[in-house]
Amino acid sequence: MGGFYWIASYPKSGNTWMRLMLASLIDGAPPDFSKAIGFAGAVGSVTDMDLYLDVESSDLTPVEQAELRHDLALVTAAAAAKPQFRKVHDRWGHTPTGRPLFPPKVTLGSVYLVRDPRDVAVSWAHHSGLSLDASIAFLGQSGAVVAKSGRWKDQFEQRLDSWSCHVASWLEADPTPLLVAYERLSADPAGVLANVAAHCGIAASDAAVAGAVAATQFDRLRREEETHGFDLGQRRGRAFFRRGRAGGWRDTLSAAQADRIVQDHGPMMARLGYI
Amino acid sequence: MTPTVDCCAAADGPADRTLCGLRVLSELPLPELRPWTGGGRPADLSIRLGDVPDHLEDGVVIHPLVQVAPDGRCRFALAAVGAYLISSDGREVIIAPAPNATGDEIRTFLFGTVFAVVCHRRGLLPLHACCVQVGDKAVAFAGDSGVGKSTLAATLWTRGYPLLADDVTVVDMNAPDGPRVLPAFPRVKLWRDSLERLGRSVDGLGAVRASLDKYHLPVEEGFCATSLPLAGVVQLEKNRKVPPGIRLLPVTQGLGRLNMVLYRPRLMLRLGTQAQQMAQFLRLLGSVGGLRALRRPETPAEWDEVEALLPALAG
Repeated sequence: MGGFYWIASYPKSGNTWMRLMLASLIDGAPPDFSKAIGFAGAVGSVTDMDLYLDVESSDLTPVEQAELRHDLALVTAAAAAKPQFRKVHDRWGHTPTGRPLFPPKVTLGSVYLVRDPRDVAVSWAHHSGLSLDASIAFLGQSGAVVAKSGRWKDQFEQRLDSWSCHVASWLEADPTPLLVAYERLSADPAGVLANVAAHCGIAASDAAVAGAVAATQFDRLRREEETHGFDLGQRRGRAFFRRGRAGGWRDTLSAAQADRIVQDHGPMMARLGYI
Repeated sequence: MTPTVDCCAAADGPADRTLCGLRVLSELPLPELRPWTGGGRPADLSIRLGDVPDHLEDGVVIHPLVQVAPDGRCRFALAAVGAYLISSDGREVIIAPAPNATGDEIRTFLFGTVFAVVCHRRGLLPLHACCVQVGDKAVAFAGDSGVGKSTLAATLWTRGYPLLADDVTVVDMNAPDGPRVLPAFPRVKLWRDSLERLGRSVDGLGAVRASLDKYHLPVEEGFCATSLPLAGVVQLEKNRKVPPGIRLLPVTQGLGRLNMVLYRPRLMLRLGTQAQQMAQFLRLLGSVGGLRALRRPETPAEWDEVEALLPALAG
């Protein structure tokens, strides 16, 4: 019987960077963008539901898909011999009938990455092709979703809600996740990666951690992307690895835009020490 | 508009239709299936409307959507659509429609997972593939949901290649002269955006389900209604990092892609048919000279290249 480690975050908060670090740590080799990245695939994958629940899941309604994600987690865990890692952008929550989307009984652990929403807004605008103002509005939108249903997608619709609600949902998740701030990950990648590895039951020497950090330095990832491409749903023609800096919002957002984010998310930003 | 077919029993007796060479007598109207013209033999598959128990007693497999009883009966159910009970010999399906389910919805899953169970029980091999006629042979294009099978089927159909199946290609591995593809029905399921890319409007097309923007495109003209020898199986790949063109995969890779070639591959574990299905899959790969792979074509030039490669596949 396997179980899951959920690598969860609001989009553009370091999830892919963390997964590449973990993949590199486990593989003992740098990421190779000439091949598809196989580690920690997205939760709620259409292919997984087709395979494990014996149904053409793209013929299901979004409500049926959301409901069956609970079952998919249980069945996939039961079918696996070892722990599984999955990328998650959903808020922590429940299916339409109230069953946990990330069932505690198959959760081995969760890592929740959080980032200053002012940086998230700038990065999300670049990724999605929205204007900065529209991106700020998206972060404040209750009921916001990604991978919206309505045409074929390889992932089911994922409910984010507002950035504040997203963070709050995961801070209250069962079991409590390991909270990882993007800013701390940037400042001390080796220290943070060692913590995450320990939380996820990955035995790793200091040298292995240092190797994984070196293999996933931002400049290296950007060079790999320039050479081989890296498509993770960003707007066509745009780089996935854009800037990778904490605090970059200061030279991008107007004072009014930054103020609006603080108005929308002040209490959670204060709780996390961003203001 | 295509008339909506009520899910209730047909007024003038059971529908007498054919699916994959089987004579199907059905209390549920099955408008997409061709009428049976093969004479007076008994039904190969009877479809009745009736009660289906919520739980199969002593179920040996209790799965979210599938239950299997010790005697081999199999139940598949979706709350909003209905429950289906497939007999252990694959000769009867009883359907208990959900109160507000449409005929389209009930048939969508009848022709999907439920018919795959029928195939397993009858010793047929269902592939997750579309299938077209090339010359006097059949070529199947397999792959996961969303890889572009239906788009490929519809595109090759518009280029003059008759269609045998859209999403599920059923192979008779026991035909005397080698594997034969049994024709399904003349419809292709496509999302609105895929239809529009093909220059088709959704006006007048029936929706797969009322709340989905996915439609049935009828392909009556140019449907191949006779079984054909299977000449090749090609797995479609979405990854743009693989080279264009059709490549023969090494044997181990071909075997490793079983999950992408067989339809609902884990059903065999629930039904206990894995020995038979695996043996048939091995024989299939042997008889078509191995699994091939094709980066899915996207530009007109790539479609031309694929079309140019087809005769060799069916050679």
